[in-house]
Amino acid sequence: MPYNASLDMKTPAKIWEISGRMFLAWGFFVLLSCLACSPPGGGSETPGRPAEAGPPCYGDTLITGSIGEPSNLIPILASDSSSHEVAGLIYNGLVKYDKDLKLVGDLAESFEVSKSGLVITFHLRKGVRWHDGQPFTAADVLFTYKTMVDPHTPTAYAEDFLQVEKAEAADPYTFRVTYKKPFAPALASWGISILPGHLLEGRDIMKSPLARHPVGTGPFIFKEWKTGEKVVLAYNPDYFEGRPYIDRYIYRIIPDSATMFMELKAGGIDNMGLTPLQYARQTEYRKFKENFNKYRYPAFAYTYLGFNLEDEKFRDRRVRQAVSYAIDRGEIIEGVLLGLGQEATGPYKPGTWAYNPNVKRYPYDAVKARELLQEAGWRDTDGDGILDKDGIPFRFTIITNQGNDIRARTAEIIQRRLKEVGIDVKIRIIEWAAFIKEFIEKKTFEATILGWTITQDPDIYDVWHSSKNKPGELNFISYRNTEVDALLERGRRTFDQEERRKIYWRIQEILAEEVPYVFLYVPDALPVVQARFKGIEPAAAGITYNLIKWYVPKAEQRYKMIAHSS
Amino acid sequence: MKRALAKEFWQRFRRHRLGLTGAMVVLLLFIVSLAAPVFSPYDPSYIDIKSILEPPSYEHPLGTDQLGRDVLSRIIWGGRISLMVGFVAVGIATVVGVFLGAMAGYYAGYVDTIIMRFVDIMLCFPTFFLILAVVALLEPSIWNIMVVIGATGWMGMARLIRAEILSVKERDYVLAARALGASHARIIWRHIIPNAMAPVLVAATLGVAAAILTESALSFLGIGVQPPTPSWGNILTAGKDSIEVAWWLSFYPGMAILITVLGYNLLGEGIRDAIDPRLRDGRG
Repeated sequence: MPYNASLDMKTPAKIWEISGRMFLAWGFFVLLSCLACSPPGGGSETPGRPAEAGPPCYGDTLITGSIGEPSNLIPILASDSSSHEVAGLIYNGLVKYDKDLKLVGDLAESFEVSKSGLVITFHLRKGVRWHDGQPFTAADVLFTYKTMVDPHTPTAYAEDFLQVEKAEAADPYTFRVTYKKPFAPALASWGISILPGHLLEGRDIMKSPLARHPVGTGPFIFKEWKTGEKVVLAYNPDYFEGRPYIDRYIYRIIPDSATMFMELKAGGIDNMGLTPLQYARQTEYRKFKENFNKYRYPAFAYTYLGFNLEDEKFRDRRVRQAVSYAIDRGEIIEGVLLGLGQEATGPYKPGTWAYNPNVKRYPYDAVKARELLQEAGWRDTDGDGILDKDGIPFRFTIITNQGNDIRARTAEIIQRRLKEVGIDVKIRIIEWAAFIKEFIEKKTFEATILGWTITQDPDIYDVWHSSKNKPGELNFISYRNTEVDALLERGRRTFDQEERRKIYWRIQEILAEEVPYVFLYVPDALPVVQARFKGIEPAAAGITYNLIKWYVPKAEQRYKMIAHSS
Repeated sequence: MKRALAKEFWQRFRRHRLGLTGAMVVLLLFIVSLAAPVFSPYDPSYIDIKSILEPPSYEHPLGTDQLGRDVLSRIIWGGRISLMVGFVAVGIATVVGVFLGAMAGYYAGYVDTIIMRFVDIMLCFPTFFLILAVVALLEPSIWNIMVVIGATGWMGMARLIRAEILSVKERDYVLAARALGASHARIIWRHIIPNAMAPVLVAATLGVAAAILTESALSFLGIGVQPPTPSWGNILTAGKDSIEVAWWLSFYPGMAILITVLGYNLLGEGIRDAIDPRLRDGRG
C-alpha cells in the first residue's frame, strides 16, 4: 500500500483535520488512510461471504464515499484527510507501514540505519517511472527534502525534516540522510509523499498545476477532479508492485452521512465508514449482510475534553480531576457510540506497546467530584444549584465542531453530568474553519471536545511540549510541565524501545494525574465494503493497506473500463 | 364605539370557520407551551441511555431520541421556544416597521424617499442568507436569533403601514385634528396609527408563522437554538440522521411545525377577512 503512513499518522495538521471535520466520518478515515487497527480477530466481524472467490482478475470500479473533499493534491501542502486519502493512492513514500504496522521499504527497495542511528541510507527501486513517463531517481527525493525545509513552503510537516543535518543523493539510486541528534521518528518520517522534482524544480509550488492534476508513482493515475463531486483515478499499468486489479477508483464527495448511507444501499458507492447507529441498527438485516461486508476494529484515534489551562477556573488540578470523576465514560460509550468503542486513559491506543494500562483512572463518582470541587473552594453559597467561588458561578462553554453528531451528543451527556455536581456548562457548536481559526488557534475557548489520531510512533512532542503553545501550534491548551518536557525530549532521542516505553509510560502517569485532558474514548472504525470485492484481509493496519490486491470476480463486475489512455 | 367595532369584528370572525380553527390551534399551543411543566411527562433534557431511539409506546407516546430523551416532552418545551421566537421576533419587526413606515407615510418628501430606499435596499438581501451570515458572526443563541429574525423582517410591515397612512392621513378626522393644532406626534399616535393597524395585525399573525419556520430552519442547520434546549428545528436535525430507524424523531416535530404554521396562517387570514373593510366591501 502506498499510503504515506507517517504522513497520515504523524503530521499534526492532518491530525487536526481528521479530528475535526472528518470525524463524523472517522470510521471512513481509518478505513482509507490509516494503518491503524488492532490485530486481526480483535473484534473484527466475519464477513458475510468468504473473502476468497475464484482467482483474482482485473476490472471494475471501486467507488468510495467521503464527507470531505480534497483541498490540494500536493499532499505536503494539504492538511485535510481527504487530500491525503486520495494522494496516498497517487504518490509513494520511501517507506511505508505494512499490514502488521512494521516499517518496510516502498520507493526504497531497502534501507540501512547506521549503528549510531544518525545516518539512514535508502537504496531506491530502479525502473520506477512517474505517471508522465519520466524516471524516478534520488534527485526527486532530494528535491522533496529541500522543499520540506524551505521556509517558503507552507507545509505543516516541516518539523521532522528540520532535524536533518545533511541530505545527499550519492548516486541516482542512493539517498542518504544524516541527523544532528538521534531522532526516533526519523525513519517513519520518510513515509512522506515523494514529489516529482522534474515538474516542480525551480517553480513556485504554490502555483503548481499539480495541486489539481497530480503526477506520482503510485498504483493509481489521476484522471479527473470535478469539484464538489468526485475525483477519478485509473490503474497504473506499470506500478512497481504490479498493477491494481481494480481498473478505476472513484472518490465521491457526499457531505452527509445519512445521504451517503442511502447511496451505499442504492449501489451508488461501494464503501464508506459507518456511524455507530448505522452499524448497530441499520445494517443488521439479511439483504444488507448479503450485499456488504462490515468490519470493526478500534481506530487509532481518541476523543477528549481539553481544558484551556490559561483559564483561571482550570488552573487547579483538583477541579480538572473533579470534572473527570463527574463524567461517566461508560455512559458515553454506551449511549453515543452504542458500545462501539472503548475507554481512553491516555494518548495511546490500548494494547500497543506505548500504552500504559496502570495509570490512575477516574471511574464515575459524583460524590468525589463534589468533594474535590469543595476542596478547591467551589461551594454553592447562594443556593442556586451552581457552585461559586468569590461570587463567580462555575460556568463554562464546551465548544466542538459542526458536522459531528457524536461529539455534540458527547457534549450533551457531559453537560448533564456536570450539572449534577453544580457546574453549568454551555455547548457551542461551530463550523470547522471558524472553530480552528477563531477559537483553537487563538485559544479563546474554555474547554473543547476534540480528537487526535494516534500515531504509530509514540512521539507526542507537538501536542504536549510546552514550547508548542504558540498560536496555531498543537499544545493549544497551554499545558506546561517540566518533567513531561524533559521526557518528551528524551523520548525522541533514543531508539531503544524498552527505554522509550518507560518514558512514555511515565508521561501517561503524569497526564492521568494532572488531567489536562479528560480522555474520553477510543472509537471503533466501522468500514463497510460492497461484497463483490474480494481479497480484503483485515490486519493490524486495517483493510485498505492491500487495496491494489482487491478484485472483483468477472461475473460480478459492474463497471466497464474505458480504454486506458496513459 | 371601540366596543361596537370589536363586536362587529367578532361577529364576522366567528363565521370564518378556518380562522376559528386556526385560533383554536394557536390557543391550544399557547396553553400547552405556557404550562409545559404540567403537560410534559418527563424532563426534556433527561438523558436515559438505556432507552435510546425507542419507538412510540405507552411510556413514551412519541418515542425517544438518540440520547433516550422523551420526544413528547421535548416537543412541548420546544413549543415554548417557537412561540417565544415567533412573538419576540415579530414584536421587533412590528415596532421597527410601524415606526419607520409611519415616519415615511406621514412626513412624505425626502424622509419618505430615504426610508423607502432603505427598505428597498434591505429587501434586496435574500433574508435567509442575511440571517445566516449574521448568526454566523454572532454567537448563536435564542436571543440573537429573535433579534436577527426581527431585524430582517420589518420591511414588509413598513411598506404596509406607509401605504395605509398615506390614505388615512388625508381623512377628515386627521384634518380636523390638525386644524385643532394637535402635534405631529399626537396625530400619528392617536389618530393615524390606530386606524392603520388592521393590516399590521394580519401581517404580524402571518409573520409569527414565518418566524417560527425561520427559527426551525436555523436550528435545523445547527446555528439556531443550541443544545440541550429543545427546539423543533434541532429535534428534526437529530431525526434526519436516523430517519430510517426512528421515523418518529422527524415526523412529530415536523407535524408540530406544520400544524403551528398552518394555525397561524389560518388565524391570520381569518382576522384579515374579518377586519379588512376593503375586502369586505369587495365581497359585497
